[in-house]
Amino acid sequence: MKHRRLWPAVAVMVLAFVSACGGSGGGSSKADLTVWVDAARLPVAKAYQKAHPDVKMDIVTFDGDGNGATTLQSKIQLWNKAGKGWPDVIFSEQANDPVWMGQKPFDFAATITDLMPDSVLSQWPATSTAQCTVDGRQVCVQDNIAQVVLWVNKKKMDEFGYTVPTTWQDWAALGAKVATEHPGYIVGNIGDSYSHWIYLWANQCPLSGVDGNSVTINATDQHCTEMADLVDPLIKNGTLPPLGVFTPDFAKQYGGDDDKVLMMPGPSWYAKAVFNDTLHMPAGEITAAPPLQWEGDSEVTTGQVGGGPWIISKHAKDSKAAADFVTYATTEFNPTGADARPGYPAYAPAADTWLKGMAADTFFASDPTPALKDAADKIWGGWSLVTYPDQPVWSDTVVSKLVAGDSLSSLLEPLGEALANAAKAAGYDVAGN
Amino acid sequence: MTSPATEHRSTSATEDQGGAAALSSSSVQVARSRGLHGWRAFSFVVPYLLFLVLFGILPMLYALKLAFTKASGGFAGFRNFTDTAKDYRFVPAMEHVLVYTTVWLSLLMVFVVLLALLLHGRASRASSMFRFMYYFPGALAGAASVLVWLFMLDPSVSPGSFFVHHVLGAHHFVESIAPGKLPFIFAMIAFWTGAGGWVVVLYGALNTIPTELEDAARIDGAGPLTLALRLKLPLIRKWIAYMVILSFATGTQLFVEPQLVNQASLGMVPDTWSSNQLGYQLAFRYADFNAAAAIAVDLLVVGLLAAFVIISRTGLFKAAD
Repeated sequence: MKHRRLWPAVAVMVLAFVSACGGSGGGSSKADLTVWVDAARLPVAKAYQKAHPDVKMDIVTFDGDGNGATTLQSKIQLWNKAGKGWPDVIFSEQANDPVWMGQKPFDFAATITDLMPDSVLSQWPATSTAQCTVDGRQVCVQDNIAQVVLWVNKKKMDEFGYTVPTTWQDWAALGAKVATEHPGYIVGNIGDSYSHWIYLWANQCPLSGVDGNSVTINATDQHCTEMADLVDPLIKNGTLPPLGVFTPDFAKQYGGDDDKVLMMPGPSWYAKAVFNDTLHMPAGEITAAPPLQWEGDSEVTTGQVGGGPWIISKHAKDSKAAADFVTYATTEFNPTGADARPGYPAYAPAADTWLKGMAADTFFASDPTPALKDAADKIWGGWSLVTYPDQPVWSDTVVSKLVAGDSLSSLLEPLGEALANAAKAAGYDVAGN
Repeated sequence: MTSPATEHRSTSATEDQGGAAALSSSSVQVARSRGLHGWRAFSFVVPYLLFLVLFGILPMLYALKLAFTKASGGFAGFRNFTDTAKDYRFVPAMEHVLVYTTVWLSLLMVFVVLLALLLHGRASRASSMFRFMYYFPGALAGAASVLVWLFMLDPSVSPGSFFVHHVLGAHHFVESIAPGKLPFIFAMIAFWTGAGGWVVVLYGALNTIPTELEDAARIDGAGPLTLALRLKLPLIRKWIAYMVILSFATGTQLFVEPQLVNQASLGMVPDTWSSNQLGYQLAFRYADFNAAAAIAVDLLVVGLLAAFVIISRTGLFKAAD
């Protein structure tokens, strides 16, 4: 009798085991084209599938490898070890991903110049192409340029009777004024994982100067210390909080209908993605002003936050189809209105169309496009992309301590040391420290 | 008298993911010493043995091989170990794990034993409901419980924001996860998921104490406190030792909690906070599987040493009391 009762249990166990093993998703070997995109690039992939119904696509959304994550490195390692499984096209939110993808041991990226004609590639700005060039070969094309401009709440500025600053010093002075006259309002934020790209990169602070296999990191250079001295009082008086724009705390405290954002230095893609989608600010308030200049400097330089690259796999079954998709995504896909691309297209003709759409968008208080166009070629070229991500170093070494009340000036040296450690661990020689 | 306890031990060994090799060998040892009239016992143990070999022993041997070889395959001596020890993240990670494990084990030993004794001292109907409630958080997979805690720790969305403000002193999420607070936060998360299961195990252990002993002690004039401390506690010390061994192993191998908090905080908590995370980064960011294996062997040695010390001190494998 005990044996009779055992058989049903065994049968159920076997069935459960078999059903758990079979039917795992991802039959990518059956698809003609496998693309990995983040959430913001999903509309592009879907649009391509719709326009090319004969191409069987496998669209995979992932975290975009943003904020210095290791997602793509682990995945490519595993695919390399297994010898199969690579997607044909990857979009990454980390601008420095192509740098390690184009080198050993990952060796993932295909040479773009073999797959896309020069007539198309020449329409990217030289700085953008330079960021995609590793050891003399171009391994990616950037989807958008992410130049930093000064976003201004025109409505509130007019209401309070302030003029839009053109220099960092004027901006800081205004911050001091705002702290006493309109407490609660902010002139920027410094708690994002990429805030050093907005404030330090813009002022030519030498934290990432690559020359061959050597990287120059000098966090106590004058360009860095003078910016730190400028922003420390603002962090202290609350007009430059060490919070990130994408945290729920930030949206609650500074966003919404009664928003407290007076000014915010930020990249071009903040336009709708941050002020509308994340902070839900009312229309008719925000516009863009040219990037701030350090008083006394002859030229204006600004920073960069992203500019996501498209990378085609070396192991793609059909490189032509992959190249066709990337060409479509960067040059053709350019809807207007609510479905517009979130970033300033790197492909110049697409940029013109996009700018026209932005100029007509009623969300902005005034036309933001002149400022965006002006800043497009002002990104400081002395900050190179490296194989290691510097965002986590900034977050861990600086932001966590800013939250605890330390000043940025006191954290520059630890930042330099931590960056040097990360560089050495990644195999670079470090100079200038 | 020992049979329900040992069968209890082998089924709970399949539940916990600590998976110390010492444990299954102990259950097999006992089965053998009682003779083979338990083919049924074997049929329970053999599937687990299969998975233990495939996913525990073989990877461990592979890691041992990797730790002593170079990437090209040649013998590397102890070079991987010295190189990883010199990594700038190695010592901080070990420090973090040490503080975390100390806090976690202290919490566990004190509160789990306390709760189990309280549960055992109460009436049985109420205690079965409590046993379910204690066990329930442990049914959540580790990653899911961390996600729940991420919401609990964020003052702007937490239902317990009063406590977050006043006990943790945090007005923003980034303050909740300040570096100094992290070992305690991770210990809290791990306790919430892990303690319940152990309370149930220790309750089962307490049930093996014959009621005649308790009655005799009561007749001799022992109050509930004396009963708990002088009678019950010494009799379950082997189960407490077992709990400490497994929890030490899972504690030193902490990975899920700091990894998820790293992603949720967008990098503010470093992705090499714990030693296991450092091993993961070495393998997948730097493609240095040999160094990662060296860290894994470090953790294995630490766990085995602790197990050895605890076993010899408490006489865990000695047959009778």
